[in-house]
Amino acid sequence: MADEDAEIVALIDNELDEDASARLLTRLATDEALRKRYEALREARAPIAGAFDALIEKAPLSRLRAALPPESAPRAALGPFARIAFRDIAAGVIGFLLGVGAAAWIASVAPRGEQEDWRAAVVQYTNLYTNETFSPLHPDAALQALELSAVGARVGARLTPETVALPGLRFTVAFMLSFAGSPLALIAYVDAQGAPVLLCVIDNHAPDAGMGSERRGELSLANWSRGGRGYLVIGRISEERAVELAGMLKERI
Amino acid sequence: MNHELFARPTRLSSNARMSDASRREVRAGLEPCLARLWRYGLVLSRASDVAEDLVQATCARAIERADQFVSGARLDRWLFAILRSIWLSEIRARRVREGGGFVDAEDALSTDGAHLIETNILAAEVLKAVGRLPEAHRETVFLVYGEGYSYAEAAKALEIPIDTVMSRLAAARVALAKLK
Repeated sequence: MADEDAEIVALIDNELDEDASARLLTRLATDEALRKRYEALREARAPIAGAFDALIEKAPLSRLRAALPPESAPRAALGPFARIAFRDIAAGVIGFLLGVGAAAWIASVAPRGEQEDWRAAVVQYTNLYTNETFSPLHPDAALQALELSAVGARVGARLTPETVALPGLRFTVAFMLSFAGSPLALIAYVDAQGAPVLLCVIDNHAPDAGMGSERRGELSLANWSRGGRGYLVIGRISEERAVELAGMLKERI
Repeated sequence: MNHELFARPTRLSSNARMSDASRREVRAGLEPCLARLWRYGLVLSRASDVAEDLVQATCARAIERADQFVSGARLDRWLFAILRSIWLSEIRARRVREGGGFVDAEDALSTDGAHLIETNILAAEVLKAVGRLPEAHRETVFLVYGEGYSYAEAAKALEIPIDTVMSRLAAARVALAKLK
């Protein structure tokens, strides 16, 4: 029976040699019990692959990336303190980072054309965020300040609770992603309804650029570049509101 | 240990510039493999923290041994072999010594993998069932159905005959067929 099962499974997996396949197919045509067994074993494959697929989306990518050996000599802005501080924080918000792992994964596997545009990757995963993504998070102020300090150090931006404060929005969490090898800080806010608004800062050596804005689907984007860093405010808000918020942040960070 | 995967290509070993190039190639290829390495580590260890340690150790080892990687070969498979080697020779042995290694079938019901995807009930049930399989069966099922190894590739990676791959997969499918 066990050998027979092994042959049936190999037939289903298209791994059985030609002669054995022919013999088994002949028997299957006439043996109803064997056919039922074949059906039962065949149906078991799809859920296995699906379960493994579901699992990969739970990989703690932010932490795995943070632990990677450096590509070359560490950059001045990326001192050992910043790295350690972020790891400590990452451990503290483990549950949350698991949630954003899928988003980070999406960014990492985006088609090459979109990899050229970090904003497109941010748009992709911002579309996944709902009013329930960040609104349940109420970390204490000390942890928030530490998070901001650590991610600010990674991207070389002056991020404090005061500099990132925005009217009508509650700052929730800050964490690191990475885009095409460049560190990408994400600062998440929610409005009174829980709708997310994000400030993203990427250290990508971009040339300076003034404020620009655009609509992408339901999202409004306002962005500028300064000092080799790209800044983006994004959310399901009006384009005017995005520019207004971005203008305030540009003054302070 | 899969000696072929770790074989040092002599044309690279004495050339420092090529060694740097190998290191860069390996380093650049690590990030896209992280999630899959973690998943492999989780399937082997059934504990997400151990899986993270395994990925970290694998990446560090891969950089150290970058000159053993044959340029153009499949980096993911090479990394998998390293992860497996570290699991078998270091972490698994240590966990056994510390009494935290082999969980019983009952304990496996609460493994991290199934817990992590509890919102997907079918997937969680399947993972629990996979988690109850013996380690060797679990790994074979993962490589073939999770990672798309052919039977021959799985046999080579696990250093077992193809017949053993077949019987392990069949046993797993029988166990999973009972879920319905």
